[in-house]
Amino acid sequence: MSLVEISNLNAWYGDKHVLKNINLEIPRNIIFAIMGPSGCGKSTLLRAMNRLLELNPNAKVSGQVKIDGIDVYSDKIDITWVRRQFGMVFQIPNPFPHLSIYDNVAIGPRMNGLVKNKSELDQLVKWALEKAYLWDEVKNDLKKPASMLSGGQQQRLCIARALALKPKIILMDEPTANLDPVAASKIEELMLELKEDYTIVIVTHNPQQAARVSDYVAFLYMGELIEVGETSQVFTRPVHKLTERYVVGKIG
Amino acid sequence: MNRRRLEEKIMLGVISLLAIISAIPIFAIIINIYSEGLKYVSLSFLIDFPPPPISGGAGGIGPALVGSLILIGLATVIGGAIGFFTGLYLSEYSHTKLAQYTQMFLQIMVEFPTIIIGLFAYSVLVAPLKRFNAFAGAFALSIVIIPYIALNVREAYKSIPYTLKEAAFSLGLSYPKVYLRVLLSTAKRGVLTALLIGMAKAGGETAPLLLTILGTTFTYFEGLDQPINAIPLLIYNFALSPYERWHQVAWGASAVLLTIILTIFIISRLVVKEVKI
Ligand SMILES: Nc1ncnc2c1ncn2[C@@H]1O[C@H](COP(=O)(O)OP(=O)(O)O)[C@@H](O)[C@H]1O
Ligand SMILES: [Mg+2]
Repeated sequence: MSLVEISNLNAWYGDKHVLKNINLEIPRNIIFAIMGPSGCGKSTLLRAMNRLLELNPNAKVSGQVKIDGIDVYSDKIDITWVRRQFGMVFQIPNPFPHLSIYDNVAIGPRMNGLVKNKSELDQLVKWALEKAYLWDEVKNDLKKPASMLSGGQQQRLCIARALALKPKIILMDEPTANLDPVAASKIEELMLELKEDYTIVIVTHNPQQAARVSDYVAFLYMGELIEVGETSQVFTRPVHKLTERYVVGKIG
Repeated sequence: MNRRRLEEKIMLGVISLLAIISAIPIFAIIINIYSEGLKYVSLSFLIDFPPPPISGGAGGIGPALVGSLILIGLATVIGGAIGFFTGLYLSEYSHTKLAQYTQMFLQIMVEFPTIIIGLFAYSVLVAPLKRFNAFAGAFALSIVIIPYIALNVREAYKSIPYTLKEAAFSLGLSYPKVYLRVLLSTAKRGVLTALLIGMAKAGGETAPLLLTILGTTFTYFEGLDQPINAIPLLIYNFALSPYERWHQVAWGASAVLLTIILTIFIISRLVVKEVKI
């Protein structure tokens, strides 16, 4: 069974139909890229998976998203549980600026009651920061506000914050779009490291990035899923004409 | 210098002058109140009963000060709680009709003559009890400050970037945790400022108290169901009296009231300044 199974997923903002009958399976322990030009619905698709889309009162969703076989849209399910299964990293690094570096990572497990005591929390924070390649840079500044970090460090802090909840999958919405090339490549390296233990879905409008980091790739265009497959396959022998034009840079 | 330049200069000069003129009253008031009133203020002035009108000691404004503090505290707690949650609702449910109408009503309420709010409190809390009482005053003041607090709390929450809200929800936190813990700590300065503005308003209002608390002169506090006094009301009553001695008390009380309001105002400024860091 794939980790995530999406079937007949549709989404609207008001009357605007932005995701059109998406069917997609995301296998385990891989990097799965969702690529497509700006405005094609990539961010919406990610937010439909962890139900963050519901924060927008105009958004409507139909269809099914399953994680480990559990339907996240089932009536019986606790939405906070759903969101904890998906760690999320955003396009603009968004640590809580007034909280310390430590608290940014600790806040999730602490408020969700996932740790028993302070030392367990300390350990978890350290573990997450190490996993996010940030520990060595911040270990002496844990009490300082997150706003003092550079953009790349803030993004890795956000990755640590997501990891601290021990999610089943990590969703990254153009995580490097607002970073300089050095910081961006550091994030890409980190993703390759993380896929040993995690499944990562990365949204990108940049086909080169998808080619560099992903094992599987889906091409989304105007709300429709045009093509899905192994990255090497999609980039060398795309089935669909649109995909071919996109990967050589003629769309977007 | 060409003509356009000259015109611009003159225009700027006129505007600046008008700006200065409009700021004159506030300084004139502050200087006037302190020069007339500060000389009567002492520790005993803050504690003692008012003097008898003709003979006796200097007296003070103890009951009115105690009353004001109680009324400000109570109004801030009641009005603050209701105003806070209303503001939060206005910010987070701004797409609903209810929120839109509520906001419109609150904006009208800001402009409401406060004597009418006092009259309302009189009819629901004084007339039925057949007694002027402290709670009616606090109730009226709460109603006066709710719109100020609600509208400012709304602004505070509106100013939180959407991406932080998404971050908080993505951690699987419940609504109360997101809004009352994570985001409140982001918006806390705005919220604090809202409460301080409410406090200053509650401390300075006279009209809502005229018909609710009566204004006792010789008791500090006897219970929320009993009359009390407040500084603005004391100023009003004493300034209108024919006694020179009471006029002096009114001046001193004005200096105290102004100090309370200015202190709240300065605190709120300091709070706001820190937001920008
Ligand atoms: N909050 C919103 N309200 C209305 N329309 C939106 C909203 N967010 C996105 N859209 C529209 O939905 C479409 C898909 O947006 P999005 O998922 O953000 O695309 P992408 O992430 O691929 O750039 C776009 O046409 C966009 O204009
Ligand atoms: Mg997007």
